[in-house]
Amino acid sequence: MTETRRTRRPYPPPPPKWVDVLLYAGAAVSYIGFSVYFKWLLDWIVGPVWLVAWVWGIPALIRLVRHQPVRPPRGPRSAPASEEPR
Amino acid sequence: MSWAAHQFEVYAVEAHLPKKMVGQVSWFAIFFGDFTPDFLAKFWVYGVTINGHHFGASKPDQWHRGWPGMGISHTLFFGILVTIGIWAWKRNRAWTIGYLLGFAAHVLTDVNDSVGTMLMFPFTTLSWSLHTWAYAATVSGGKYLDAASYYSSLGFVMDLFWLVVVLVSWRCLTREFWRTNVVPGDPYVWSWLGQWFDDRGLLAIYRSVFFYGVCRMIAWSAWAHIVARPVINGVVHHGYPYDLSWNGPWWVKHVTLPHVTPLIVLPAALMLLGFVYLVANTIWDRMAVGQSSANASRKLRR
Repeated sequence: MTETRRTRRPYPPPPPKWVDVLLYAGAAVSYIGFSVYFKWLLDWIVGPVWLVAWVWGIPALIRLVRHQPVRPPRGPRSAPASEEPR
Repeated sequence: MSWAAHQFEVYAVEAHLPKKMVGQVSWFAIFFGDFTPDFLAKFWVYGVTINGHHFGASKPDQWHRGWPGMGISHTLFFGILVTIGIWAWKRNRAWTIGYLLGFAAHVLTDVNDSVGTMLMFPFTTLSWSLHTWAYAATVSGGKYLDAASYYSSLGFVMDLFWLVVVLVSWRCLTREFWRTNVVPGDPYVWSWLGQWFDDRGLLAIYRSVFFYGVCRMIAWSAWAHIVARPVINGVVHHGYPYDLSWNGPWWVKHVTLPHVTPLIVLPAALMLLGFVYLVANTIWDRMAVGQSSANASRKLRR
């Protein structure tokens, strides 16, 4: 009998800073460019979601295609801050 | 009304909290406080047109800021009522004070257009307005005319002013600030979101309101002054004309509600802003006691 174990791929490190800058700039240029002509995009839900989709969504999509974990790992690293609520 | 200014002031408030509140006030609460007045009132201001029939306010200015109407949503009185409700429900000073500050920022900024807000409601239903630019939400013009008018007038300068306020405090947009000042004010919400989003995603959520403010300012301005071909007094224009004079732009009807003299509005608005900060500062420490005892009784019940 052979023992099989599913090995979970590690959560990849964050992309370099220049990629972040590109994603933010891409989000801004595309959002402004489209919304000048499709003004319904200028909405308080679409606008913020557009940025999150670019900055977080695109790298997450790439991770998904590469079969890497999309959700951040649980545990101390996943918590954005270790401070207790005041 | 103000447009991107309402997005920028969320960050301005966050960056200029009283010293003892730094890192302890919920950014989400500031956002929701700033967002509530227009969320309650604005959908019906423009309304919707279905099959040629317009569903919406017949007098948008009266509905938006007047009484009777939803003008109560733009009063400090209403903001204080909701703030008391949040405190009674959650006993959480991070949310209570954050909401109050965000709400006050919205109400006080909106005194600039020609309709203004009922600052002293319920003592008087008179509007308090500086008449800095024309209120331009109309049934026929809808959102587009309103945007074109705002971004052709001193309203655009108002947006720029708030943008500069945020950019001067640019650290409030950094990852470091978010980790040390924003997340500790609301650890449960951020860690709940952290189930799905990594730090980059969470930071993008924090910055997204600023992003929306900058982009809508540029997009509406570009549309109004480059793309649009309005017909004003029978003349086709290449873009809506700028008019940075007081009460501008000239090509929009100057709508007002019964109001107090504009001379007392600025000092009154500044005094109220100071008063809100003073009250928040004063009750902050006392709220800590109430919050601790509420937390203790919650633990006992468990």
